[in-house]
Amino acid sequence: MQALLTTLLFVAPGWVRDWITHEKQPNVFWSEYIVWPLIQIVIVVIVVLTLVAYLTYLERKVSALIQARLGPMRVGPWGLLQPLADGIKLLIKEDIVPIKADRAVFLVAPIISLVAAMVVLAVIPWGAAWATIANVNIGLLFILAVSSVGVLGLVLAGWSSNSKYSLLGALRSSAQMVSYEIGMGLSIIGALMFARTLSMSGIIDAQQTDSLWGLGYFLYQPLGVLVYLTSALGETNRAPFDLPEAESELVAGYHTEYSGFRWALFFMAEYSSMIVTAAVAVTVFFGGWYFPGLGLVKNPTLFVLLSIVIFGAKIAVLLYAYMWFRWTWPRYRYDQLMELGWKWMIPAGLANIVLTGVFYVLALPKAQGGLLGFMHEEKGRLIPTKLGILYFIVTGFVVTIPIVWGLLTTINRRSRDFNLHEQRQLQVNLRRERLEKMLQQGAGTQPAEGGQ
Amino acid sequence: MQLHGWEAALFYVLAIMTLFMAVFVVTARVAVHSALFLISTLVNVALLFILLRAEFVAGVQILVYVGGVMVLFLFVIMLVQTRAEEESRVRLYTGQTWPAVIIALLLAGSFYFAMSPAQAAFRPPDATTAIAETAERASAGAGLNISKDTQEVGEQLYRQAALPFEIASLLLLVAMVGAVLLARGTKQEKYYE
Repeated sequence: MQALLTTLLFVAPGWVRDWITHEKQPNVFWSEYIVWPLIQIVIVVIVVLTLVAYLTYLERKVSALIQARLGPMRVGPWGLLQPLADGIKLLIKEDIVPIKADRAVFLVAPIISLVAAMVVLAVIPWGAAWATIANVNIGLLFILAVSSVGVLGLVLAGWSSNSKYSLLGALRSSAQMVSYEIGMGLSIIGALMFARTLSMSGIIDAQQTDSLWGLGYFLYQPLGVLVYLTSALGETNRAPFDLPEAESELVAGYHTEYSGFRWALFFMAEYSSMIVTAAVAVTVFFGGWYFPGLGLVKNPTLFVLLSIVIFGAKIAVLLYAYMWFRWTWPRYRYDQLMELGWKWMIPAGLANIVLTGVFYVLALPKAQGGLLGFMHEEKGRLIPTKLGILYFIVTGFVVTIPIVWGLLTTINRRSRDFNLHEQRQLQVNLRRERLEKMLQQGAGTQPAEGGQ
Repeated sequence: MQLHGWEAALFYVLAIMTLFMAVFVVTARVAVHSALFLISTLVNVALLFILLRAEFVAGVQILVYVGGVMVLFLFVIMLVQTRAEEESRVRLYTGQTWPAVIIALLLAGSFYFAMSPAQAAFRPPDATTAIAETAERASAGAGLNISKDTQEVGEQLYRQAALPFEIASLLLLVAMVGAVLLARGTKQEKYYE
């Protein structure tokens, strides 16, 4: 079994390379940079696309279970072939392009969306060693940059359809995605201060040495995790922030005019960006492909395979949480959504950066000017001591969260309440005060604002 | 000739693409198409940055310009009525073609004369060193070829150029507050009271 795997993974690329290049001498460049990555890419794309198809199935099953129904049951055993049937249906549907649409942009928009969501898959560390396609030194920045391009797909789809529903839907969703992107970027920086690298594999390696039993930075960065997961929901247009396509109130938002497989492309982009945001959360906060005890496995092939399984399991937990949120929480109103993004998530992200920076500088080794000296240098990296680990966990949970909570409630004390009843009460009280003031000034002047 | 091999090929493809896209930005009739060509110009420039081993700058270029600035551009353009231009009722080329050509030629000439002494100073690198470099990079494996690009940018920005950086950020903050103040009239202030 292992011999077969080794042949498949290490020797076969050499045959392919020899066949392509007709070169007899070993050429490291081709196998390292062309042939092997191509094999990895094909595997990842096939797996992710299948996963995307089955996520739709899973979503329907989860929603059915939450609502005490059965969900899809007809096609195949337990409805397992339902995604295939849906795919075929979408493929043979008529592809409609509105006459007044800007044809070129209309055709390109879903492709931009899908490409932006899929390119990112290349830099995600799916597992240890050879399971990572490209270890780019700006990995995390690359992911943020390319997924921000995905917004263009929505904007262009909305504009090129030449329909007011699409345009308004596109405006809504792009405003939402642009605002939640900022919170997402800010929430990661705290963890990056500990990792001191943008490379995805580097962040996972750093977590193994830095955090408690290699569990991950979520122990040091509880606020960062909270802001990241909330912003990721907003960024991927998932409920409770699914205003762009709120099925029960809108005409489907930016993809109103799309039909057949072009519509499916948007759908696939949405689901694969869900996978990507979950993968980034796992990489940055939850220790990536590492789990305590994985170091005991000595067989390298088994080690890598297990690491892939662990990474997949962590992503699956997050994806289940996404679906759980969708079917248990009500949708936000648009102003509430913007308020949550700008007045809660972004200030919380900024405060998290400042507080993490302060605690980090305090804990530096005394030789480098720190006060507490909870870190020591090892192989050019700063690693917290046992006391340091405790210190970072305590500051993360006990100090940062109450400080930021107090700060945010102070900032937002005058903003309107999320609770509709309270909000109405606020307006009623204001009106009563104003009327009383008028009555005191003299009964002769009638209140002029009767219609308000 | 400083470039060789794949790098040269990639550079020329990207450079020519950038120039053509930049021309299309000016000649496109529909404003949204112009914006799209501008986006592809910016992406091409980001790829050129990667060719120069400035990955961080490339990432920031895409994140800020393509993901941020251009989306806001599109926001504004989409809501503006540009039908007159789209239906070619407006002339795209006014009588300034010849002055523009002359100025562009002058600019190209001045670039050439400014760059040619620098060009002469470069030594054409040996082909052997380049091959050795590639082989070294390839044999170093996936984990070790991480350049210090991001760290260097950070050091320069926060140590050497801290004051200009802070001044720029203050300027942007002032602009932001000003924009909010302009957009928010007294009526709205009263409503929130």
